[in-house]
Amino acid sequence: MTTTPGGPLIVQGDKTVLLEVDHPDSAAARRAIAPFAELERAPEHVHTYRLTPLGLWNARAAGHDAEQVVSVLLKYSRYPVPHALLVDVAETMARYGRLQLVEHPTHGLVLHALDRAVLEEVMRSRRTAGLLGTRLDPDDVVVHPSERGHLKQVLLKLGWPAEDLAGYVDGEAHAISLVQDGWALRPYQEQAVDGFWHGGSGVVVLPCGAGKTIVGAAAMARSGTTTLILVTNTVSARQWRDELLRRTSLTEDEIGEYSGARKEVRPVTIATYQVLTTKRKGVYTHLELLDARDWGLVLYDEVHLLPAPIFRMTADLQARRRLGLTATLVREDGREDEVFSLIGPKRFDAPWKEIEAQGYIAPADCVEVRLTLPDRDRMAYATAEPEERYRLAAAAIGKNTVVEQLVARHPDDQVLVIGQYLDQLELLADHLDAPLITGQTTVRERQRLFAEFRTGEITRLVVSKVANFSVDLPEAAVAIQVSGSFGSRQEEAQRLGRIMRPKADGRTAHFYAVVARDTVDQEFAAHRQRFLAEQGYAYRIIDAEDLEKDPAAGSAEPTA
Amino acid sequence: MSTFAEHLRALAPEALAALLGARPDLATPPPGTIRALAARASTRASVERALSEVDGTTLAMLEAVVALSGAPRPVDRPHPGGAAGPAGRVGPSVGDLSTALGLDTHAAVEHARRLGLVWGGSELRAAPGLADALGPHSAGLGPALVPSDDPDAPDVADRAVVDRLLEEAPPGAVAVLDALTWGPPVGRAPAEPGPARSAVVWLIRHRLLVRGDAHHVLLPREVALALRGGRTVAIPPKHPELVPVPVDARSLDAGAVQESLETVRLTAGVIAAWGANPPAVLRSGGLGARDLRRLALDLETTVERTALVVESAGAGGLLMDDADDPPSFVPTSAVDEWGALDVAEQWTRLAASWLDSDRAAWLVGTRDERGSLRGALDPASRRPWARRVRRAALGVLAGLDAPGRVGAEQVHAALTWQAPRSAPPLHAVQACLEEAELLGVLSSGALTTPGRALLHDDRSAATAAMERVVPPPVDEILLQGDLTGMVPGRPSAALAETIALTATVESRGAGLTVRFSEESVRRSLDHGWSAEDTLATLSRHARGGVPQPLEYLVLDTARRHGQVRAGAALSYVRAEPSALVGTVDDPTLRDLGLRQLAPGVLIAQVPAAELVARLRARGIPAVVEDTHGVVLHAVTAPRRVRPPRQRSAAEPDPGARARHLHRVAADLLGAETTSRAAGEDSSVNGGPSYPTRADRRSSADEGTAEPLEALATLREAVAERRTVILEIAGPDGPSRRTVRPLRVDGGRVRVVDAERETELTVAVHRIIRVTFEGDE
Repeated sequence: MTTTPGGPLIVQGDKTVLLEVDHPDSAAARRAIAPFAELERAPEHVHTYRLTPLGLWNARAAGHDAEQVVSVLLKYSRYPVPHALLVDVAETMARYGRLQLVEHPTHGLVLHALDRAVLEEVMRSRRTAGLLGTRLDPDDVVVHPSERGHLKQVLLKLGWPAEDLAGYVDGEAHAISLVQDGWALRPYQEQAVDGFWHGGSGVVVLPCGAGKTIVGAAAMARSGTTTLILVTNTVSARQWRDELLRRTSLTEDEIGEYSGARKEVRPVTIATYQVLTTKRKGVYTHLELLDARDWGLVLYDEVHLLPAPIFRMTADLQARRRLGLTATLVREDGREDEVFSLIGPKRFDAPWKEIEAQGYIAPADCVEVRLTLPDRDRMAYATAEPEERYRLAAAAIGKNTVVEQLVARHPDDQVLVIGQYLDQLELLADHLDAPLITGQTTVRERQRLFAEFRTGEITRLVVSKVANFSVDLPEAAVAIQVSGSFGSRQEEAQRLGRIMRPKADGRTAHFYAVVARDTVDQEFAAHRQRFLAEQGYAYRIIDAEDLEKDPAAGSAEPTA
Repeated sequence: MSTFAEHLRALAPEALAALLGARPDLATPPPGTIRALAARASTRASVERALSEVDGTTLAMLEAVVALSGAPRPVDRPHPGGAAGPAGRVGPSVGDLSTALGLDTHAAVEHARRLGLVWGGSELRAAPGLADALGPHSAGLGPALVPSDDPDAPDVADRAVVDRLLEEAPPGAVAVLDALTWGPPVGRAPAEPGPARSAVVWLIRHRLLVRGDAHHVLLPREVALALRGGRTVAIPPKHPELVPVPVDARSLDAGAVQESLETVRLTAGVIAAWGANPPAVLRSGGLGARDLRRLALDLETTVERTALVVESAGAGGLLMDDADDPPSFVPTSAVDEWGALDVAEQWTRLAASWLDSDRAAWLVGTRDERGSLRGALDPASRRPWARRVRRAALGVLAGLDAPGRVGAEQVHAALTWQAPRSAPPLHAVQACLEEAELLGVLSSGALTTPGRALLHDDRSAATAAMERVVPPPVDEILLQGDLTGMVPGRPSAALAETIALTATVESRGAGLTVRFSEESVRRSLDHGWSAEDTLATLSRHARGGVPQPLEYLVLDTARRHGQVRAGAALSYVRAEPSALVGTVDDPTLRDLGLRQLAPGVLIAQVPAAELVARLRARGIPAVVEDTHGVVLHAVTAPRRVRPPRQRSAAEPDPGARARHLHRVAADLLGAETTSRAAGEDSSVNGGPSYPTRADRRSSADEGTAEPLEALATLREAVAERRTVILEIAGPDGPSRRTVRPLRVDGGRVRVVDAERETELTVAVHRIIRVTFEGDE
């Protein structure tokens, strides 16, 4: 391979920045652009970053200025950078912080203008109606404290993001420390905590299995205050609890669970999104939890899944430090900007492959197995109603045989079979003689099965989408996906995450997606794979027929 | 030396040649005599043309010359109390002009002399026609005062006198003078009695105002000059200040590269698209708006930019109306030569043809005065001044000390200064700068090195400068597992073709990112490449090899390519397979074009009736079936044609018919009346009193002059206030009058007949001959 002389970056007029990975300066360039450019795709040779207003404001929030950004682009760019783009960068960045949210000694929270015209424009906008109070002087206007989050959101939409200098309440102090016996914070975890703490609030993006819980625990230790942790479901809540007990000085009595089953409020309380968003007679009955204690830190697990009501509630929590954790800040609903304005900007992000290269997550081999449907099934598919088609294709009977063949290839590994449709999964569980976990399985039963799977008593497990999130299965080395929620990139990444814990012997994890050829199943699969492909996970595609002929086909390591 | 013609006659040959050089319109066609030359130089058109090239200072100076001619010297008046008139018939000196303008006018005067707009010795005189061209109230000054009969009348040309008079003025008088001082010198006289009216009346009485007509008053020149302190302009004219925004000189040319390459790419795209499917030429001669939009969509750019590219390519002779029937726009044979050039040279040619084109690309998409949309390449969008505007506007940028961006408003102001009488409209300047930016002649609003070279007509320097900054072509592509690829630079021609056939471009710029999809790969298959060809071509360019997912995509697409096929046939045969044995191979049926699609199914390239006849002739008992597969029986219906549609047999309404006839009759009568009236008119007006053509010729034979010369003489007479002898063709034959011309315009001459003490207006075409009194 030859390396082209010049810098590793190519800056395009459409505000994408291409980073050539094999270039000797690529690591330095990556570090230099990370604060302001959003990583969009990270396949094997060329990573694509994008300069977005959000990213540039992020950089301003973190203390970088336009001159720095421009000089980095000029320094590492191979070709001349379009002048218009540099001007645009400077102008966009200059929009941040023209307005500030500050604490006024007598009037409380105040929106302060460094540029009077901007304040005038903002005050005349219909969107800020009701958020702003009396005008103290030409440059200051009172903000209702409860509208702090909402106002920030609106200002962002108006293109004049405010710099929030009003600070945070300290919250109720509660000593928490990490107990690092036999383990230590990894360097990137430490960077993530530093990034978050320095910024005050924000989101940390780490791949599945890279220890997000530990980042959360370390953030709690840094904060040393009472903490409210919001998680997706009860199983996940229990796992957080176990992890906190193992990694920190917290005792069982200090950790409370606030879920459908139990309603404990302790210095560290773990609540599910579900219980918070439960409505009775049109009102959220568990909102008092948010005010139950003087929380010093609010932690959002899987922030990409945050439901809309939680966003609204979070708008009221702007005086408290907030930390969002996620593996993929891709929201299929496109609400990334709300995460930015309500939880905070992205404080830390690392490409999956980079963490993999450091050995903290297992290398994974992704294979798409294409199955040709028999003529009978194809006819049924062709004549089906459009809304039935995905189900028909995804739950094709032929997949059972393929799954059996795949399972047979990994006799000594822990294998997860993941799917969407219960009847399909029941059939598969029968075929494989493996236990099945669905939404109907009780928590106790689930935990028993997970424990047995963990210890190796059972080696095959069929799970529905309940296992998509926050299920900690340390030794799963093989995942076989038979069907999913249509084209969700998010789900695909989470499912791959199930097998990414580093294996004791450094083995490669295997991820198989079984797909019916020439159907919508194939189209959705292509869409689902996009996130991972952009993270550098190249799917190999093999034909199910080859699998039949040669059981070893496709098991070769990728050549790329 | 009393006339302009005599002045010209007295010029040295070199000086005369210089004048002809400075005003080319005077030399073509060559004038026959000096008098003819003087006449031509005094025409409105010629003076306008000369004025269109003078700058702000010169123009102000010329206004001053006209305004001060025949006036007492503005400041140090040598003859206090000296009235205007023959004695005061002096022109201003250069010093007077400098005082009047508040700056040194030597250069401006020399310039105007070279252009033949002023003449004379130390006392400058305006060339005939100049005053007319500059319009009334030159320099905002009114007419000179008519000398007073009263020898003791106060001298209102003296500021001190005026001030003294004003001390006793009624309220409001000073305000009236203030309003008129800097022109225009015409004010409306208050009709209602009141303080304002009495102030005006007082001013008129003291000769500080004069009456123009019943409703208007004028500020006399002498008073205005006294009030202005001898100045003709309030502020000395000066070049508007340009405030350029500095642009980094290093990144300047590089910034233009992308636009330049894009221009070349788009031009090549237009040529390729139109080479395959030439769009139709509208009846108006332009390109349809829909065709333009479609082209923009194909080229992945804006409609405005597409219009510019099409116009530049048209100006460069790369695209033309083929004048076929129906006509369409087709690339010319010049594109093949252009296509073979290096990219820098391609750009130079495009940019140069834009620079010197008279096409107003910015008009595309706007509506003309009749409200119809102007299309690209519309012959009506020709603006002969476009070239001059472009060069002038870019010239302003080229004149900056350091490369910088100057807004369109500032450029426009500078151009207005350079030639106030012919300043281009602001929107044209703006459009010119925007187009230059899109073409890469400007970058961030500053002139690039290649652009500067073009402006100096140095194409090879432009090409060389462009070559220095265009990145070398790259022949490799990085292919990735997510079905994307990236070319780290400008793709070579071979690579660009491969990409066009196999991938979709996602982002253009210094590099190129592409995405492969089933659809994009299918293009290569449609182009006749096999899957193996495609993979081989890609791997030849791919640095890291073709990733497995892409390879799979290509093979999978190839597998499905051509699975479903469609074709054309005129008729078909279907039967039990056994019934058709040997049919396809039968040599006697070869001309039917039979082909077996499936067992028992043949298609043929002849109509069904013929097919059945031939098959029967060969002993196959074929029958014809209809579109539903039902056998059509041999009972063919006898042929019939459709009868013409019958008029409705309804009973005609007698009333309607009567009304119709009545209307026809009325129309006829109406027409008769009109034509009779017209006939009467012509017999009344068409007089035998006009001289016949022969009459006129005979009298003109003895006359001096061509009509132009006569006009020139009259203009001079106006300027010099001299008396002429006018021979006029009247209804009763030619007559001779001694008159003093007052004004020449609109084909009429206003003269004062000194003997009969009347003013009269003479149509120019009636003038046979004009002679200065005493010249005879």
